[in-house]
Amino acid sequence: MRVLWAVLLACVGTSGGYGQRTPESDAGSKIIALENVWNQAAQARDMKALGALLDEAFVYVDRDGKLLTKAEVLAGVEAIRGFQVLSQSMVVHLHGDTAVVTGIYKTKGVDRGKPFVRRDRFVDTWRNKNGVWMSIASLATPVGS
Amino acid sequence: MRAVIGLWLVLVCAISLSLAQEALEGSAAPAIRALEHEWVEGQSSNNNRALDLIFDNGLVYVEYGRLITKGEYLSRVKAAEPNPSQIVMEAMTVRTFGGTAIVVGTYHEKNISTGTTRLKRWRFVDTWVYKKQRWMLVAAAAAPSSK
Repeated sequence: MRVLWAVLLACVGTSGGYGQRTPESDAGSKIIALENVWNQAAQARDMKALGALLDEAFVYVDRDGKLLTKAEVLAGVEAIRGFQVLSQSMVVHLHGDTAVVTGIYKTKGVDRGKPFVRRDRFVDTWRNKNGVWMSIASLATPVGS
Repeated sequence: MRAVIGLWLVLVCAISLSLAQEALEGSAAPAIRALEHEWVEGQSSNNNRALDLIFDNGLVYVEYGRLITKGEYLSRVKAAEPNPSQIVMEAMTVRTFGGTAIVVGTYHEKNISTGTTRLKRWRFVDTWVYKKQRWMLVAAAAAPSSK
């Protein structure tokens, strides 16, 4: 529930200015916040919060090159135990109502009884629709694959 | 009377915007598919000028798990030997979200080294944004795919 509130706050955010803040920096901060909420929701296996971040048409390509829908991603997160994720080097590239986030994440957990530790580079695409940012696509690939 | 004219103008603008949006989305998929093929042709023939027109200056590209810029990508293409059969595109799907399009697909990459030819399959996600009256590639990434 706490994560869901964080999602709502991060999605809508505040448009009020604080001196030197620009719409671009506001959007960039908001998207980084959403990326962090995504990680928290996945770790907490909070499907409601995670679902609120992903567009219905969201597509994900995992590190094995497998194409997954939103429902398949949610089911996959639910199946992992002890999931931990740490994002690094996140950069937001804004193009109007579209944002691309690049970065690296380290993940570990137990998937169907098998422990894993991974380091992947990711590219996430976000789209702002009616003032709400939602992720529409994501790809992860092993660093230096 | 002024209120009626004002309302009418708002309505006409709203309908025009809606029709323009529909036209953009309707024409997006074929246009983007064509650009994806132009990209492969441009890369295979070391045509950096063609690639420069397709790629946004802020392009982020992930290849072999490394993040590179447009400049780095074009330098690599320029230095490579022309190889028309290096990349073979397979199926692709275009999804449009207003002025944003996501392309998901697969391709085979042929690598020839030490006399042997190796085929590697990749699944990619490309992000296109409609800006300055044309679609521009702003992000591209691929993950190795076994199937």
